[in-house]
Amino acid sequence: MRIGLEIHVALPTRSKLFCSCRTDASEPNTAICPTCTGMPGSKPTLNRNALAISVSIANALKCRVPESTSFARKVYFYPDLPKNFQITQKDEPVGAAGEITIESGKRIGIRRVQLEEDPAKVIRQDDYTLIDFNRSGVPLVEIVTEPEIGNEEELRMFITELKSILYYLGIDIDRELKVDLNISVSGSRVEVKNVTGMKNLLDAARYEVQRQEKLVKAKQGVVQETRSYVEKDMKTAPSREKESDEEYGFIFDPDLASYKTTGIRIAKPVYASKIAKEYSKRYGVKDSALRELIMFNSGNLALIDSAKDRHGMKALITAVELLQRYASKKADPSVFERVVEIVEKGAYPDKEMMLRIEAGKSVEVHAGASDEEIDNEIKRLIGENSKLLKELGKNPKAFNFVVGAVIKKYKSNPRAVSERLERILKELE
Amino acid sequence: MSSITEFLEKEKPSGYTGKMLKELSKLNEELNAFNNIADSLGSGMPFSVKDNICVKGIETTASSRMLEGYIPAFNATVVQRMLDSGFSFIGKTNMDEFGFGSFGLNSTKPARNPFDVRYVAGGSSSGAAVATSILKYHVAIAESTGGSISTPAAFCGVVGFTPTYGALSRYGLIDYANSLDKIGIMARHADDVRSVFDKVRGADAKDTTSIEGEYRREVSKKIILPDQLTKGIDEDVESGFARLVEKLEGMGYKTVHRSIPFIDKAIPAYYTIAMAEASTNLARYSGFKYGYRNEDFTQHYNQFFTNARERFGLEAKRRIVLGTFVRSASVRDEYYSKALKVRRLLIKELGKALQDGFILSPVMPIKVPTFEEVKELTALENYKMDVMTIPPNLCGLPHVSFPYAYHKGMPLAAQLVAGHWGDHAVLGIVEEWERHFDYKFKYNIGEL
Repeated sequence: MRIGLEIHVALPTRSKLFCSCRTDASEPNTAICPTCTGMPGSKPTLNRNALAISVSIANALKCRVPESTSFARKVYFYPDLPKNFQITQKDEPVGAAGEITIESGKRIGIRRVQLEEDPAKVIRQDDYTLIDFNRSGVPLVEIVTEPEIGNEEELRMFITELKSILYYLGIDIDRELKVDLNISVSGSRVEVKNVTGMKNLLDAARYEVQRQEKLVKAKQGVVQETRSYVEKDMKTAPSREKESDEEYGFIFDPDLASYKTTGIRIAKPVYASKIAKEYSKRYGVKDSALRELIMFNSGNLALIDSAKDRHGMKALITAVELLQRYASKKADPSVFERVVEIVEKGAYPDKEMMLRIEAGKSVEVHAGASDEEIDNEIKRLIGENSKLLKELGKNPKAFNFVVGAVIKKYKSNPRAVSERLERILKELE
Repeated sequence: MSSITEFLEKEKPSGYTGKMLKELSKLNEELNAFNNIADSLGSGMPFSVKDNICVKGIETTASSRMLEGYIPAFNATVVQRMLDSGFSFIGKTNMDEFGFGSFGLNSTKPARNPFDVRYVAGGSSSGAAVATSILKYHVAIAESTGGSISTPAAFCGVVGFTPTYGALSRYGLIDYANSLDKIGIMARHADDVRSVFDKVRGADAKDTTSIEGEYRREVSKKIILPDQLTKGIDEDVESGFARLVEKLEGMGYKTVHRSIPFIDKAIPAYYTIAMAEASTNLARYSGFKYGYRNEDFTQHYNQFFTNARERFGLEAKRRIVLGTFVRSASVRDEYYSKALKVRRLLIKELGKALQDGFILSPVMPIKVPTFEEVKELTALENYKMDVMTIPPNLCGLPHVSFPYAYHKGMPLAAQLVAGHWGDHAVLGIVEEWERHFDYKFKYNIGEL
């Protein structure tokens, strides 16, 4: 099976791609001007910030960035396009031939990254349609992958990885995620157009894969076609093809120039999943615990990096978790430092203690219970209640009850208690 | 003294502008120079605006039925700069629909030649040329894509100037072919053109392709005659032009005959690029946001668009169809991409030729034609008439068309082309020529 994606991501610029209208207006048709409504006589002028962000994305996805980049007109007739052509990129996109390494270690090729304008928003009602031009001209980056995603799990990993890379460039993929999916189970390619949001993406992919697999199993063959995702039925259905590549009739957009990419300040990419993998290997901690903390949190990564040469990684992870749970404001390094020191003494601060630390007040630190003490307490709880033992293996509530009781007694680190309990259960098997 | 200064200095009798506008409206019924005339006029030098250039609050249709009722919410940069310089807006001038034509006939009411109404005014800036030819004190803001200033200026006996591409902002111009469209100026004297040009030129943040040019003002005495372009032209045009060359030689100009590589490919390259771009520009007139509003929403999707686009004129339809074809994916390389290559080559070749001289030629291979004569031309014969105006337009070179003689009462005109940013230099030669030449006009509305 081969899945390829065309992902449209809205860029976090204050103004639109080719005019100075705001991108954050909520009242429909209030952030519009002659240019983004295509008034005869208007002309586009490029938002340089959008260009810089798109080049940073291309660079982060390890694309080849050309020395100069230009725009093209893609013609199709649709009510969401006031000019009936979209200004996009064709021959000189901001990026080509890149790749993303997903959690499993597999590399997924990035065919191209291009900068383009978003069409207006079409709001369909029962017997009429409304159009909101606030969205018309919002800068988008389209990321086109090679058809190298092999299954739903890889699809999820790919999106997570992309989302993290973009997060570190200051882009929130969930603000407006629009994806075209290309799925081919047996060789004929089916395109599922305009899937919005992460949940729909996974649902649509799952449905379409199963639909094609069923057809192949029944030896009915899959028709090469364009489909759309029907959210309320969680199904894909055949849709009208707007225009073909032949008919788009791309030409160079003569209102815009050729733009040099050489002077642009490119944002340094951060690959959090690669960092998590490296640290987990180097410091012997769980990859998943680190990923949880740093994939979408640059503050956490900064705290860990600032102290990793002076403290143990396990203590740092625990301290970050504690701050994430209890801190009332963004932690400053000195607070973090104190928490780490306390954790390293074997203690596990509760909420009250955390707030005192945050406020700069003194705290009384007792070394936490030893592993032996924790084990004894667990065994005591299980021994008292034979029903509990039966439940423990299958019921997370029972598991959490035991962990909770131990924490209450010793103020221990929940992760440490969980690990002890898991070990005891294994021994008992 | 420029006629702008003359106009501003002269005492005007009471009721002057009212009388002038009345006289103009009356003559306009016969000549169709204006699509609309202002109700009142300020005290500045009057200027007209071709109807494909936006004037805030004034209906702007590019002489197309598709744009009936389009009232721009903004002024074109050129219009704003004219107003800021104290000029007074007098009206919107007639043209071939969207600029598609060389004779002014692609308009619901074609403009007529002021010297003799049996003759055409030329196109596509037909009304601008007629207005300049009938108003004593006036300058016209016109526009050229492939010869739309040179040709009508030549037929109506006025000076028509097309600047270097990018010298004047295109913001507010209703696009025909964006990489070829140039706003320009018509007037009765070259120094008026120069004076207006210096007020409106220069980079504009609203048009990415506009820049502050590095102008070359020195006037060379070398004139290049491109014999390839003048082969087989009308005999009267040929002999008249030969006399002009003699006179210029008498004034100290040196002439050289030179053949320019690829210049014969200029027409196909031009029409390919122009139509490809035009077909994308006209896409917006689809009956949704712009263009004739087709209210029958029960129609099938494609039928809706077909009906909404019925109001385009024949030439516009032809250019949409041909333009859409030449940029289709399967033939794009053979037509559109190849035409871009030819343009690049020709810019290089003409640039070389124009390093130390000017190209001089007639404006059209024919004398001013009558309506009857033009109606007999096929589309291809029509396009071929642009053989001398297309090379400088395709390459964005500054050029000026000016009358040099009268033949049986109708003007004969020539075109001077300079290298990029030689705008002032070509105007300088025409200014020198004017010292040896008397302009003739049939009308002098607003004379003081």
